[in-house]
Amino acid sequence: METSTMTYVPSADDLEVITREVWMSFLDGDPAGLVAGGSALGEDRVTGCIQLSGMYVGAIMLELAPAAAQAAAAALFGMAPGDVGPVEVADAVGEITNMVGGNVKSMLPGPSTLSLPAVVYGQLTLPGVQMVRRAELTWRGQPLAVSLWRQGG
Amino acid sequence: MLSLLAMVIDDSSAMRLILGRIMRGLGFDVVEAPNGAEAIARLESGIKPEIALVDWNMPVMDGLAFVNAVRKKEQWRDITLMMVTTESEQSQIVRALAAGAHEYVIKPFTPDAIADKLALLGVLA
Repeated sequence: METSTMTYVPSADDLEVITREVWMSFLDGDPAGLVAGGSALGEDRVTGCIQLSGMYVGAIMLELAPAAAQAAAAALFGMAPGDVGPVEVADAVGEITNMVGGNVKSMLPGPSTLSLPAVVYGQLTLPGVQMVRRAELTWRGQPLAVSLWRQGG
Repeated sequence: MLSLLAMVIDDSSAMRLILGRIMRGLGFDVVEAPNGAEAIARLESGIKPEIALVDWNMPVMDGLAFVNAVRKKEQWRDITLMMVTTESEQSQIVRALAAGAHEYVIKPFTPDAIADKLALLGVLA
């Protein structure tokens, strides 16, 4: 189902607040740990994506610099960053994307359904959707971004 | 004193680790399952937890299907079911509670939020 152009879309600030809440709960208890803005993500990144279907059709993506993804996995698993492998990174980025996505979904028109999260190394291109919001953040000096996508823009 | 048993059902091993740590800290023994189907298999093998913490969005068998399956079996009727999930849409929460879940916690959560819900349910070890 295609969404109406009148659909309320959470703001970039909303994306940031939700991401901050997830970070504070599981990754970094320091409220100043995650900061808005910062340098742009390079080509090399880890991307988590969760798709939405139903009243709102689109996706939510979390993109992290590889070092940020590794640090996030280490924090979530309680491991040293050097001990974290690709399996832990994929699991952690998937779960963080799931948490951010689920909370963004609660601000969108429903009912709608979340897919299972997908995690890829590199950029992800989804056919037929356009980005409508993006929040860029920095954690431990490494960039990350959360974005909301909608079918048909 | 014997510990109570909690089953943590979540497809994310990081989340199972986090929830397992919280539950052990509250005095529970913990068993884990990565989806509803494996959780059912553990129940069928004779494991009988006092409480199951159930994610919604999982492969193979999701949390709602797990709740429905547990509620169909007389011998599992006394297992307390608590959804711990990112699914925060009101209509979905109502569906889970109507299916037989006792409580609902939305991720992200704090350890205190889990403890508070367990106290509310009367299942703190």
